[in-house]
Parts: sequence; structure tokens; C-alpha cells
Amino acid sequence: MDEYDEMYGIEDDFEQQFADELEVMAQIDREHSSCAKVSEFRNKKPIPQTFEEAIVSGDVPSRKSVNKEHPESISPLVYEEEEESLTPKPKKRRQDVAKKLQFGVEHTDDISPPSSPEVYNRRVRDGPAVFLSLSPDRPAATKITTNVLDISGLTALQESPRRVTAARRHAQKRPPAIGDFITVTDSMGNRVYLNKKEDEEKAPDPRAFRNSLNGLGLLAVPIEVLKEQITERRHRQVVEESQRLTELMNSGIDPDHIAEEQADSGVDGGSGEDEGSSSRLWVDQFSPQNYTDLLSDDFTNRCLLKWLKLWDTVVFGRERKPRPAPADVRSNFTNAQNQNQNQSQRFKTKSQITEEILEAELDQYKRPKFKVALLSGPPGLGKTTLAHIIAKHAGYNVVEINASDDRSAELFQKRIDTATQMKSVLGANEKPNCLIIDEIDGAPAAAINILLATLNRKDSRDGEEAGVNALKKKKKKQSVLLRPIICICNDLYVPALRPLRQQAFLLAFPQTLPSRLAQRLSEITRRQGMKADTGTLMALCEKTDNDIRSCINTLQFLHRRGQKHLDQRSVSSMCVGLKDQNKGLFSVWQEIFQLPRLKRKRIGGDSFGGFDEAGPKDGAQRIQHILHLVSSTGEHEKLTQGLYDNFLSMKLKDPGMLGVCTGLDWLCFSDVLNEFVLHGQNYSLMRYFPFLPAAFHHLFAANSVPRINYPHSHYEAFTKTQHTKNALIAMLNDIPPAIQSRVCMSSLCMDILSLLLELISPKLRPVNPQLYSTREKQQLYDLIDTMINYNLTYRQDRTPEGQYTYVLEPNVEDVVHFPGLPPRRQLTYQVKQLIARETELERMRRVERAQQKRNPPKTEAVNKIQEEKKTEVKKPTSRNHQQRLENIVKQTVVETRPELDFFGRAIAPKEKPMITTTGEDGKAGEVVHIGKAVGNSDVWFRFNEGVSNAVRRNVYIRELL
Amino acid sequence: MSLWVDKYRPTSLVKLDYHKDQANHLKNLVQCGDFPHLLVYGPPGAGKKTRIMCLLRELYGPGVEKLRIEHQSITTPSRKKLEINTIASNYHLEVNPSDAGNSDRVVIQELIKTVAQSQQIQSSAQREFKVVLLTEVDRLTKDAQHALRRTMEKYMSTCRLILCCNSTSKVISPIRSRCLAVRVPLPSVEEVCSVLAGVCKKEGLLLPPELARQIAEKSGRNLRKALLMCEACRVQQYPFSPDQDIPVTDWEVYLRETANAIVSQQSPQRLLEVRARLYELLTHCIPPDVIMKGLVTELLSNCDGHLKAEVVQMAAYYEHRLQLGNKAIYHLEAFVAKFMAIYKKFMEDGLDNFMF
Repeated sequence: MDEYDEMYGIEDDFEQQFADELEVMAQIDREHSSCAKVSEFRNKKPIPQTFEEAIVSGDVPSRKSVNKEHPESISPLVYEEEEESLTPKPKKRRQDVAKKLQFGVEHTDDISPPSSPEVYNRRVRDGPAVFLSLSPDRPAATKITTNVLDISGLTALQESPRRVTAARRHAQKRPPAIGDFITVTDSMGNRVYLNKKEDEEKAPDPRAFRNSLNGLGLLAVPIEVLKEQITERRHRQVVEESQRLTELMNSGIDPDHIAEEQADSGVDGGSGEDEGSSSRLWVDQFSPQNYTDLLSDDFTNRCLLKWLKLWDTVVFGRERKPRPAPADVRSNFTNAQNQNQNQSQRFKTKSQITEEILEAELDQYKRPKFKVALLSGPPGLGKTTLAHIIAKHAGYNVVEINASDDRSAELFQKRIDTATQMKSVLGANEKPNCLIIDEIDGAPAAAINILLATLNRKDSRDGEEAGVNALKKKKKKQSVLLRPIICICNDLYVPALRPLRQQAFLLAFPQTLPSRLAQRLSEITRRQGMKADTGTLMALCEKTDNDIRSCINTLQFLHRRGQKHLDQRSVSSMCVGLKDQNKGLFSVWQEIFQLPRLKRKRIGGDSFGGFDEAGPKDGAQRIQHILHLVSSTGEHEKLTQGLYDNFLSMKLKDPGMLGVCTGLDWLCFSDVLNEFVLHGQNYSLMRYFPFLPAAFHHLFAANSVPRINYPHSHYEAFTKTQHTKNALIAMLNDIPPAIQSRVCMSSLCMDILSLLLELISPKLRPVNPQLYSTREKQQLYDLIDTMINYNLTYRQDRTPEGQYTYVLEPNVEDVVHFPGLPPRRQLTYQVKQLIARETELERMRRVERAQQKRNPPKTEAVNKIQEEKKTEVKKPTSRNHQQRLENIVKQTVVETRPELDFFGRAIAPKEKPMITTTGEDGKAGEVVHIGKAVGNSDVWFRFNEGVSNAVRRNVYIRELL
Repeated sequence: MSLWVDKYRPTSLVKLDYHKDQANHLKNLVQCGDFPHLLVYGPPGAGKKTRIMCLLRELYGPGVEKLRIEHQSITTPSRKKLEINTIASNYHLEVNPSDAGNSDRVVIQELIKTVAQSQQIQSSAQREFKVVLLTEVDRLTKDAQHALRRTMEKYMSTCRLILCCNSTSKVISPIRSRCLAVRVPLPSVEEVCSVLAGVCKKEGLLLPPELARQIAEKSGRNLRKALLMCEACRVQQYPFSPDQDIPVTDWEVYLRETANAIVSQQSPQRLLEVRARLYELLTHCIPPDVIMKGLVTELLSNCDGHLKAEVVQMAAYYEHRLQLGNKAIYHLEAFVAKFMAIYKKFMEDGLDNFMF
């Protein structure tokens, strides 16, 4: 609240600016005052107020006054011990124990009221133990002291707490130095000195009473015990009644405040809830209860609150408070504020944009422009807390959906609908709902689409029907969204959130200020009786990256472990409280290759000797750091690859190459390990992976900022290898089996291919093959034969420059060619063209030969039979098509249509068809009549719609060549 | 069949050019019409496959040479479809299971079982067993090899296996013990020369013996390579001249240059260059162990006698790691870096001694 006060002083238009907040403030104040009332009530309980209770309900100053009384209350206790030691043996022993534990400086006979401050302090600390025994319903203010007492065996001595303490008050063995006293001598001859004191209510000396009766056993149960029981019962009754009264009074007040109250009292006085609170998470216990408690960034808080307040119009029917025109406000604001903003007016800052969004007009339903607020930020910044608190303070009933719920599309729809359209009628919280969708980045895309549909579909429908009738719309199943929805996510850029991002009021959470967090932490530690200085807490904040939750959890963990004193060392040595930090690969590489900044002084020596100079502790820390970093990164494969690709380009001062060798040995080890893990599924060995980066850090880390490139080499090599393999496989696949059986891939690429390419580029004259000599022809034939056998051809290809070249297909030239070697002698374009053509022809010939071989068996006799058969077969076919043609001709004759030309005009029917027939069918040219032409010539054609091979004739390759 | 390698390949055991004793043994082996499982191993280009085919021809007659390619598709238990090419005649089936990569176990189990389980119908006309020829057995995964163990024994009555590989070191011992191991060593230089001369004679060419010898040496006695080289020489220039330059495979040249680069300078920058070259070799499908071997051979010829033992030891160490690991480039580079370190130290020491 202080901050707001300050701001108030500065800003003139504060009221306009922060109207909402002020409102909330006012509410809070009201609540506070009611709280105060409650506590007053509590204080005025009808129970006779013992000073212990005063302590419990009071605060520090009153505690001080109590402390002053302690010496008097302690010393009788000691006396009591002395007394008891007279009678039973075992108790003596216990007392010995107490002595060993150095419980009492006062255990010696010459006990006197404390004079030295040290003793005084001791007693002060021991003080609460007495209260414990006094009021069993209120355990010790701090558990710690109880523990101490337990150890000392004092509890065993306190068989009758009430009585004893009552007695202990003022009896001492020595005359007290200060104040009046009365001397009392009992039957045994012991003399005690009773303090004379204003505390009149206390029973004067029941202990002495008991002592006097010590020897007599008339009753079955000693009278002291009976008395004790009675007092105890009475006490219990009183306490119960007081509790009942408290509850009665509290029940009239808002449950929130009770909770608050309880939390407060539980913390302050350590009353009642000690057991319960120890099982509760501190994170919950100390979670902020109202707006001012929030630790998160004020601007963010304010924006969200403002946004939520925009809904007031539609939700509560409250009119927005008339405010001066936004432009005015802004101009006033800027004028009053500073000139800087005037200058930078052209470029709106992000916060200004946000403000503008909040100032924007409401839509036709008086809803704000953005129906959804999307809070984003790393975990532990208090996003969920903020949403809950703001919603609560704006007067909403919070409905939360988070990842623990099923978020399938249908259920999501259902829940959104119930949350936004219904209202609880029964019960105390008759408030409108505010839907908080937590962890939305984990929700399936379908669910998010549903959410979007809830926002949008209605919008569109509203657009159509807005003017028509509102009533009808209301009756429809899906009505307009009239409730605010707050979504919370860690990662704003999850793909599923993309559509939502455009329609949501985005609020990114900045880091919590470490100072604020530390302050809150110190408050918590103080309340829980832990000791920690600010430096330590700051260290803790730094360690957890200002994650509130993580800090508090760590504290609680330490507290439960019994660690009351927190120092810097324990924070730094502790491994709790560390989150799984996920750093980017580049930053990890950077950290591996760069020495940490602070250790500037010892850099300069060579990189791997540096370790020895650095001293083991420092090095160990660094290595621990890297180990942790790497194991939380996880992407071992890529990480290793990045190290491998980059370590040689670091500035190595390594004349003997020993460091490089070691590094590579590590890589080899890691590789072998990886293979072993993958092969044997022995994943427990994976824990040794992070040692490789640690070793690399140790070997190669340098002071300068490393330039790290993303590791491509492995992937590139892989794709290239794949390319090569594919070419080889393509080549192998169509090699005839007799050769294929002798050629395996490795021999192909190692032995054969390189020489084969030599073989298929002989010196050929670039002339027409017809002009070749017989030897050249034989050579060409061999070449082509080889190429076909090994499934190679030349394929015409166009270079990017537009020139045509012939390349081998499949392109095995790449497979054998190495960069830097002289390129092998290439054939000229003409020769390649020639070879390509010849190869093609030869292939066709072979295919034909193979077909002939398969179809007609070779012997001539068979051939003859075949021919006969063919003729026989031919005749009926010719008849067939003659018949068909005749039919067709008849049909055409019968149906003489008016003929149309290409453009659909009627043509003179007489001459033109005849001309066309003569033009197309040369031999049948003289035959005028169509019908006669059919069947007379051996070339005939039939028009087949859509098919171009109108002329059918068996043509053999050999005829063409 | 235009390449000399294919054209003049002997088809029967009698016609084999070298290792005639072994050929005789094989002939005797199959004379009774049966033989045990065979494990034929030897370096590439020694004639393993030729011998196997001759053996099959001896057993089944010329029918084995009618080969056809069959595309088999096998579904793995994880519903992945595998396509694998097999070459088959009526009597035998040739598979290269390592084509299937990691799923080679499934190929072994399914394919061989289906072949082995089908009985021959007409046992009088043919042998009562089929032959399955598995190539590149040393590239099989251990799983697949174990799958093979039982299959070999179980279907002994219907099926014989001939395993073909380069080295037995990667074949598990249970398989080795179930097979009759036949080693086919490389032909000697003289044998290569005689083969080359014979081929040239058949082609009607005149091959000077000096050139033949050179070719034989350059090819590393790999007969396939020698024949191809010879033919390439013929294409380049005919008539032959004794001092003709012989075409060699590019990758060997490249590897030699890489080795020279390593020897000439030792620095991280140079190592980076060498890495690029190694990557280049690997992407051209040159197996890493071949690269390692080539590098060592080249490096040894360049370094001092004192270093040789150490270098070879390092090479052996890194080659072993290479087999265990997955990413060959790490191990190759580690070896190169180690060599650089050793070599550099040696050179500097030598320089110091020289100075003082």
C-alpha cells in the first residue's frame, strides 16, 4: 500500500488512473477493520486472561513483558527439580541427563536469580516450556523449545503440570536478590523463600502443601492427583468454552477472513495449528490473501485487475465510472509526468499499448474487446495466485479448470458452458463465475478451438442477429459469453495456442523482483522461527531463478529437516530447490566452451592446464555445474554433435595436441557407450553421458566468447551417404542377375565403379557411327553392352545455365568422384548423345529379342505352323472387321446427317467427304465409294474418338533401323 | 557379359586358374552328392563367389546358372515391411541379409525357414536339399547370427547353407563350428599375371609381362580389380606399352592425399581439414575399417621405424573401438589426432636432438 501512497503523491489524476485499485484497497481496508474487530473480540474473551494468553494473542511488545517475568517462573522450576531429587532415584538420573545436556546453569545449589545476561537469555528461551505445561491446549509457541525440553527429560518431571507450575512461581531456595520475600519452612526442615509478588490469583504454595502430605497415603489416589484431575478438567472446560465462543463469533464474519485470521494467528502466536500447518505446504499457507500481498509485478497485477473490472458493466450491471476522455488523461499524464515520454510518443511502449487496450471501448454487449486474458510466464511466479486473488477481489466466484481435469473437447465445452452460463443459486457464494483455465498450454488443440468457438461463434451470430431480436437469442442454447475467462500458460508459443493468442489480452509475467521475494521469504522464516539473513535468502532466490514456489518449498524442506539456521553455504551446497532448467542448446554449448566470467584472474594459461591452477574446488564446482546443466538439457546426441563440430575451431593453445586427443577419446567413449546403451537397452548407463561435456569444458573452455555453429556435419554426411547409397541401389537393382550375384555394394563402390567409368569413356571419333571402322564399331558395341549390363545410360539434362548435357543415369559419377581430384576425362557431348541413342536402340532390340524368344519357339517347323495359324487367325479377324466396317458404312449411309464443319456450320454434303477420304487414304484414292474401299487395301483406318493411333500396323524395330 | 571380369569367369571347378588343390578338394567334397554347411571366407577379389558357383554347378549341373531375381517382402514383428532382393535358381537361393540392416534377424528367420521347410517334390531328379547362399555374413548382427545357429541344425535334411564373408572374426564361433571353413586366399602376383595374360590372349591382345606385373601389384592382388584395370588400360591405350599409367580408383588416391596431409602438418586446423576429407570418404560408402587400414598403410610408409609399432598399436586400438561404436568419424579422427600427437612429439624430439 505504501507504493500506492507514494504514487498518490505524485500523480494528480491518480484517482482516475487507479480507480479500480482504490476500490479494492477500500474493500481490503474494510475487511481489515472487520478483522481487527474480530481479534478484539477474541481478546475480550470472558476467560480470565492469563498472561500466556496475552502472549498468544498479543504481539511482540507484550512478549517482551512476558520475558521479563520468566526468570521468576524458571527458578522455581529448578527448585522443584532439586526437591524431587531428594526422593526417587530414577528421577535423579534424569536430572543427570539434564545436566549432561547442560540444560541448567542453574542446577547447582546456589541458584540465584539471574544476573548475567547470558543466563537471562537462556531462561528467556526456555520460558515457553513453562507455558506449555500451563496450557495444554496451546502448545509451545515454537516447537523448538518443546523439543529441547523433551530432551532434557523435564516433561517426565512434570507429572502435574498445573499444580507444579502454580507452585513454582515464587518459591526459591535462596532469598531472592530483588523484591520482597517470605520464608517458609516445611515439615522436613527445608526452607524456601517465597517471592512476594503482586500476582495474587496464584495459589500461594500448593507444592509445599503436597510436600507436607508426602508421607501419608490415606487415599487410594493421592489427593494431589485428584486435585490435579479436577483442575485439569476445569481448565479444559474453560478452554473449550472459549474456543466455542471464538467460533461463534467468527462464524458471523466472512469465511475468508477467518482463514486469514487463523493463518495470522497460527503464524504469529504459533498457537493451535502447529501440527496442522506442518503438514500443509508453506506455499499454500503463506499464499497471498489479498491484492496487496501479491509479489508479482505491479503493472501486471494492475492490468489484469483493470481488464477484469471492464467486465463489471456486463456482469454486475454496474456502470463504468465516468472518466475523463482517455486522450485528456493521457495528455495530462504526459505533461505532468515527464518530457521523455513526449519525445518517445511516436513509438508506443508495450505498456502503453496494453493501457490502450484497456481503455478501448466495450463492444455491443458491453464486454471488453478481448474476452480472454492470457497470462504467460515461467512457473513459480504466482500466475495462478494472481488470477485467483484478482477474481476474488473483483467479486467473482472462481471456477478453475486445470491439467488435472480431463480436457477432452466435449468435457471442455461442457465445463466452459457451465462455468460461464450458470450461477450457483444456493449457498453463500452467490457470485458470478469467473473461469480460470490453468495450464492451457497443455490442453489439446481441440479444446482450445472450443474455447475459441465460444468466443467467436457467438460474435458472428451477434453480428447477424444483433438488431433482430435479443430475446430469441437468449433462448438459444448457446448464449453470448458474458463472463470473463482467464487463461494461464507457461509457454505462450505453443502451436495450439496460436489462434487464441490473437484474441486474448496477453499479459506476460516479468520476473519477480528478488528483493521483494527475499523480503517475503524473510517474513516467512521469521514466522516459522528460522534464522536466515537477507544475503542467504537472496542467494536462494538467485538459485531458483526467482521462483517463489521453489524458494518457499526449499525453505519448508529445510525446516522440516530440522535446519533452523540457514546460511549461504547450505543454500549453495543444497541441491533442492533447483528446477529442471531447460536452456537452449546454444547457451549450453556456450557455457561449456566458456569459462565463467568471475574467474577472470586465472585464465591465460593454456586451456587444459588451467584446471590444475584453478584449484580443485573451483574446478569441481564448474564441472558440477556443467553436469547439472547437461543432464537437465537432455538432448545428448545433438549436444555431443555440437561439441564435436565446434571444439576444433575454439582457440586452442594445445601445441602437443594432447587435449584434442583426450577430447576425441572422450567422444569415442561416449559413442561406444551410446551404442552399448542402445544395443542392450541398458539405459541406466545413460547417466554417464553428461561427463563428456564436463570433460570438454575442462579441456577446451576458454575465456573468449565462443562462436558456435549449429552442427550440420553429421546430418549432411548422412544425407550424402544416403544419396550415394540410393544411386548404388538404383544401379544394382536392374543389373542382370548373373552379374548382380557377383557385384555387391561394397565391391561396386570400392573396386568396380571407378574403373568402370574409365571403361565406358573410350576415345571415340565424334562422327556418324556409320563411318566407324569395324574395330571402332566393335568397341562401341562393347561399350554399349557394358553400359546396358551395368544398367547405365546417359540422360539429357539441362543445366541451370540452360545448356544441355548428358549425365549418367543413375548418377554414379558422384559416387566415385572426390573433390580436389582431377576430374576424369569426359566424353564429348556428341559422343554421349550417340551413346545414349545407341544404348536406347540396343535396349529396344534386346527387349524385342527377349519377347520373340518367349513367344514363338525358335524351330522353323514351329514357325511355319505358327504362320499358318496366324493366317488362319487373320482371316476371321479380317472378316470380322470387314463385317463391322460394313455395318458402320451401312449405318452411315442410312443416317446421312447434315454435315457440319468445324465451326458447326452446315457444309455442302456432296464433294467434300470424298476429297477427305482420298486425301487421307492414298491408295484408296481412286476408289470413290466408301463401302468398296473398305477391305480392299491392307491399310485401313478407323476413327476412334480420343485415340490418336488411328493407323494400325505391325512395325518392327528392325524395319526402322 | 562384356566386361572381361564377367566374360572370362570360370564356371567349373576344373577350369579354375589358381588354388587348384583346393578346387580338387571341393570337387571331391561334392562328388558323393552331398556336403556340409560351408563357410567360405577370404579377401575381396579372391574368387570366393566363383568357387561357390562352380561348386553348385558341379552339384546341380548348368541349371544353377539360370538365375532370376526375386523381390521378397517380409513383415517384421513390428509391422515394418522389408523389401529384399534375392537371386535364385531352381536349386539355390542367394540372399544378402545385411541389406535389411538391423532387421536382418527377421530375414534370416523368415526367409531361410520358408526355403528350408519346403521339401523337394521330385527328389529322384534333383538333390534332396536346396542350397541357401548367404553373402556378407560378417556384416550380420549378432542377433541374426544367433538366429542362424539353430536353423542350421534343424533344417539340415532339406537345406545346406553356404556362408560367404571376408573375415571369420565377426562370425560367432557357434556358426564357425557348424560349418566347414574354406579359406580362399588372394592369388599371388604370378597367378594374377597369368590370369591377365590368359584373358588378353583370348581377347587377341598382347600384354607385356611388365605391365601385367604392375597391374597385379597395383590392384593389391585383387583379381577383379586387376582385370578391370587391365581392361581400362586397354580402353585408354592400345597397343599396350610397358610403362603405361594404370588407372586407379579415386578413393585410394584421395586417401593417400589425406595421409600426406596428416604427415605434413599437425595442428587442430589440419585436423579439421582431415575431418572433412574423412567425411567425404565415408559419404562415398567406403567402409570405415577400409579407411583405417588404408590410412595406417600410408602413414606407416611415411613415418620413422621407431614409431611404427606405436602407430600400429594405436590403429588397432581405435579400430576395435570403431567396431564397438556407431559413429565411425569419431574413431577415425581420434586415431588421426593421436597419430598427429605422436608424430609431432617425435619430430620435435628429433629436432631437439639435432640441435644439441
